[in-house]
Formats: sequence, C-alpha cells, structure tokens
Amino acid sequence: MNKKSLDEMQTQRKNKIGNQSFLMLLYLLMFDAGLNSFGFRWVSYPANVMIILSISSGVYVVRLVSANAFVGPSTEKEKPFLKVFLIMMLAAAVSVATLVLLKNASFSNANQMDEMAAPLMFITAGVAIVIAVTTIVINRIQNKKDKE
Amino acid sequence: MSKNLKLKSARAAKDMSQKNIADAVGVTRQTINAIENGDYNPTINLCTAICRVLDKTLNDIFWEEE
Repeated sequence: MNKKSLDEMQTQRKNKIGNQSFLMLLYLLMFDAGLNSFGFRWVSYPANVMIILSISSGVYVVRLVSANAFVGPSTEKEKPFLKVFLIMMLAAAVSVATLVLLKNASFSNANQMDEMAAPLMFITAGVAIVIAVTTIVINRIQNKKDKE
Repeated sequence: MSKNLKLKSARAAKDMSQKNIADAVGVTRQTINAIENGDYNPTINLCTAICRVLDKTLNDIFWEEE
C-alpha cells in the first residue's frame, strides 16, 4: 500500500468531513446573502466572505486533524511545526509584497485599492497561523491519548 | 459493531503492537485501533493484508459467530 497517501479509513473520514464543510460553507454564504437582502449587514462586503471562508476552512482543517485524517501513515517522524510556521511566514510575506507591488504599479490607482485589503490579508495570515498551531496541539493531545 | 477480540488476541500471540501491524500493512495505528474497537469496518484488501501479517485466515479473525 502507498504509505505517502491517506489510508482507507482516513480517506473515508476526509471525504465525509469535506462534504459537511462544503455544505456548511454553502449555507453560511446563502445565509449571509439572505441577511444582506433583508438589509442587515454584519460586516461590509469583502470581509464577510473572507470571514466565512476562514471559518469554514478552519473548521475543515481542525476536524481533519481531530479525526486523524490530515497526514497519512508514515514511518518517518516529522516535525511539522517549523515547516508550517515557515510556510505561514512566507504566505504573509507574499501577501505584503503583493500589496506593495499593486500599490506601486503604474497601471493601478492606489486610491481605488480597497481599504480593507491590507488588514484582511494580515487577518487571514493570522487566522491561518492560529489554525496551524491549534491543529498541532490537537494532534499531540490525540497521540498522547491514543497510546497503547 | 462489536469489538474484534480475535484480532487483538492474534496480535498479542504474535507479540506485535498495533503500530507494528499498521506499519506492515501500510495504514495508521489509529486505523488498526478502530478495527479492534469495532469502530471501523475494513475493506477486504486490508483484511487480507492483516491476515497475511498475522499468519491467519479471514475466518480466523474476521468471521463473526452468531
């Protein structure tokens, strides 16, 4: 059997959690659209979608880890914290670089840039870091609990 | 689903841990644990792989008497 991919139980669990998370995302977006059409704006446009996406993806990842369906069977002992942390830092750096490039580009008008874009990017990176740390903590707790 | 005590005893007879079997058949230890606890119904491929590792037949480990 392929040791790099998920095993059969993990695949089943991942599919189930993915379906549920997708439906949750759909219902949250529809609920948000419904609230908007009734005139209730809890957060202005780009932020509401970003928040809903962050919540849905966060719930998806945390549930995957708690169901032990995030990493497949492997004989090597990995230390994912540093890897995840570096990836998150890289993502934040790319976000900042993109923002700076867009603002300085001649074809773009800085005044037209959405004021929420910069904080949103930082918030998204921050949420991603929180999710990554949470998943690592859950994984460690689970490994301790499951020991024979 | 009831607990699979036959698997547990066959594993113990071979002096193997859940991790040993999991590594041998290419699944996670949690999957073997779920099978032993009756929380997961494995495919026939995984059943045969486990039987091969434990030198048992499918009947020995996975057949449930009524």
